[in-house]
Amino acid sequence: MSNEFNIKNIAKLASINLSEEEQDSLSNDLSIILEHVNALSDLKLNSQQKEIFIHPLEKELELQEDEVVEFLTHDEAISNAPESKDGKFVVPPSME
Amino acid sequence: MDASNLSIREINSLFTKKELKPSELYLKVFENAANSEAALHAHLTLFEEENIKKAAESDKRFNNGESDSLLDGIPIAIKDNINIKNYKTTCSSKMLSNYTSPYDATVIEKLKEQNTLFTGKTNLDEFAMGSSTENSAFGLTKNPWNIDYVPGGSSGGSAASVGARSSIAALGSDTGGSIRQPASFCGLVGFKPTYGTVSRFGLVAFASSLDQIGPITKTVDDSRIIFSFISGEDSRDATSVINNQLDIPSDNTATIGVIKELMEDGISDEAKNEVNKVVEILKSKGYKVKEISIPIIKLSISIYYLIAPAECSANLARFDGVRYGLRVDGNTSYEMMENTRAEGFGAEVKRRILLGTYALSAGYYDEYYGKALQARKEMIDEFAKTFKDIDYLISPTTPTQAFKSGEKTSNPLEMYMSDLCTIPANLAGLPAISIPTGLSKDQLPLGVQVMSKPLSDNSLLDFSEIIENEVQLDGQPKGWL
Repeated sequence: MSNEFNIKNIAKLASINLSEEEQDSLSNDLSIILEHVNALSDLKLNSQQKEIFIHPLEKELELQEDEVVEFLTHDEAISNAPESKDGKFVVPPSME
Repeated sequence: MDASNLSIREINSLFTKKELKPSELYLKVFENAANSEAALHAHLTLFEEENIKKAAESDKRFNNGESDSLLDGIPIAIKDNINIKNYKTTCSSKMLSNYTSPYDATVIEKLKEQNTLFTGKTNLDEFAMGSSTENSAFGLTKNPWNIDYVPGGSSGGSAASVGARSSIAALGSDTGGSIRQPASFCGLVGFKPTYGTVSRFGLVAFASSLDQIGPITKTVDDSRIIFSFISGEDSRDATSVINNQLDIPSDNTATIGVIKELMEDGISDEAKNEVNKVVEILKSKGYKVKEISIPIIKLSISIYYLIAPAECSANLARFDGVRYGLRVDGNTSYEMMENTRAEGFGAEVKRRILLGTYALSAGYYDEYYGKALQARKEMIDEFAKTFKDIDYLISPTTPTQAFKSGEKTSNPLEMYMSDLCTIPANLAGLPAISIPTGLSKDQLPLGVQVMSKPLSDNSLLDFSEIIENEVQLDGQPKGWL
C-alpha cells in the first residue's frame, strides 16, 4: 500500500478548510495510522467479498412499501436551520 | 441504606412495597449529582425540573398500585448522541452546540413508555470518536474512582454518572468498545447487544455498520432489564433485526474459549490475571475451558480504522451548515461548508473524516476499504467457525486499567490500541459484555469481556451473571454519595 497522499486534496474532498498548522499535524497523524493499517496488505485472504458491507449479520435488506406516516411537521424540520425564510433553507450563492 | 446503590429490581421492590418513593430516589440521585458533577463532569445537562414532576407522577402510580414496569421512576442517564425530543443533542461537538432535537430516538420512546426518568444528557468524545472522553468540545469527564484518570470513552459521561450514582443506569453507544471500555474503567457492567437488536433510529450516526446502543449498569441484571425494554425490530432502522434469541447453555455444560491473541503482547499482566482468575473459577465449577486462536483478531485495529472512518466520512457529510447545526459564513455555499466544518469539528473528528475520505478516494478504495471489507468478512467467518465448538469467548475488556488524563492524547494510534479487545465484537456484530472483576494495584477497576454468537444475548447475560456472582469488586468509588 502506498502512503503518499496530498492532504490539501483530501481536505478539499472532505470539505474541510484546514490551516497550515493542521495540515502538518494531520498529515503526520495520517502517515502513522496508514503505516499501521498497512499490515492488511500482507494478509492472504480467503474471502473474495468486496461488496459494500452493510450488515454484519448479513441481513438481506428489503425495500419497504411507501407509506405516509406522521413524523416531523415542516416547522419542526426546519427549526434548527441556521437561516431560513418562508419555510425554506437559505444558503449563500452556489456560484460566484 | 443508600437507595442509589441498589439494583433496579431491588429499587422496584421498595417502590412496590411503598418503602421508597420514586421522588425520594430522584432527589438522592440529584444530590449525588450535586456532589460529583463539579469534579467529574459526567452530565452536560441535568433535567431537574421535569423530573421532579415526573417522579411525583411515579409516586402516585406506585401509591395507587398502578405501576407495572420495572423501569417506572428509575433515573437513567442518556449519552448525548441519542435524541430526546425538545432537548439539546450536542454529540459534545461545537457543530451541534445549539441543536435541539425535534424527535425521540426509538430507545427513548420505549423508555418513556415505561415511565423511566431521564437524569440528563452525558458527556462523550465528540461524535463518539475516542476512548477517554477527552475529545469533548465541552470539557473532560473524570473517572469517579480517581479523578486523575480518564473514565474511558466514548460513553465516559454515562459510565462516570453510574459510577458516581448520579443515575441508576445509563445508555451509551458502542462502535468499537465505547460502552464496554468505559464500563470496565469505572467498575461497571457494559453491554453491547447483537448488532441490529436495538434500533439505531435517533442515535447520531458515526459508523452505521458498527454502532449499537446498550446499557451501562451496576449489575448484569440491570443490563438485562434495560435490554429487554429497548430491543426489538424497528421499521425506522433498516438494519434492525427481529430479536429471536438463541438459547445456549449457561450452566457448566457450556464450553468456554480463552482468546490466545488477546492474552499476548500489549495486554498488561493485571488484565491477564483477571481473565485467569475467572477461568479458574469456571473450571472449579465444572466448565470446560479451552485456549482458542483467532489469528485475524490481531488485525482488528487495522480493519476498524479503515471501515469506521470510511463510514464516518460519509455519515458526517450531513454537517454542512445548511439544515442544522453551526454555520460559519463564506462567500459561496461551498466556502460556507468548508468554513463550517473547519470550525465545527474537533481534531479527532477531522482526523477520522480525512482518513475515511482517503480510504474511499479514487485509486485507493480497493487497497484500503476493499481490503478491510474482505478482512472483516473473514473475521466473521472465523468467529462463526469458533462458535461451533465454543459457547462463550473470554478476554480482558481493556489491555490495561484506566490511563491518566492526557497520557495518550498526543498519540492517536496509542489511544486506538486501547480498544484492541473490544473492536472484534463490533466488526462481527457479536453481543459482548464487560463485567467488573477486580481492582488493580492502583485501586482502579479491571474487567473481563465475554462474547457469544449473534442473537444469544440473553444466554450471554445469564452466563455473565454466574461470573458476577463469584467475582465482586471489593469496594466502590468513594466520596460522591
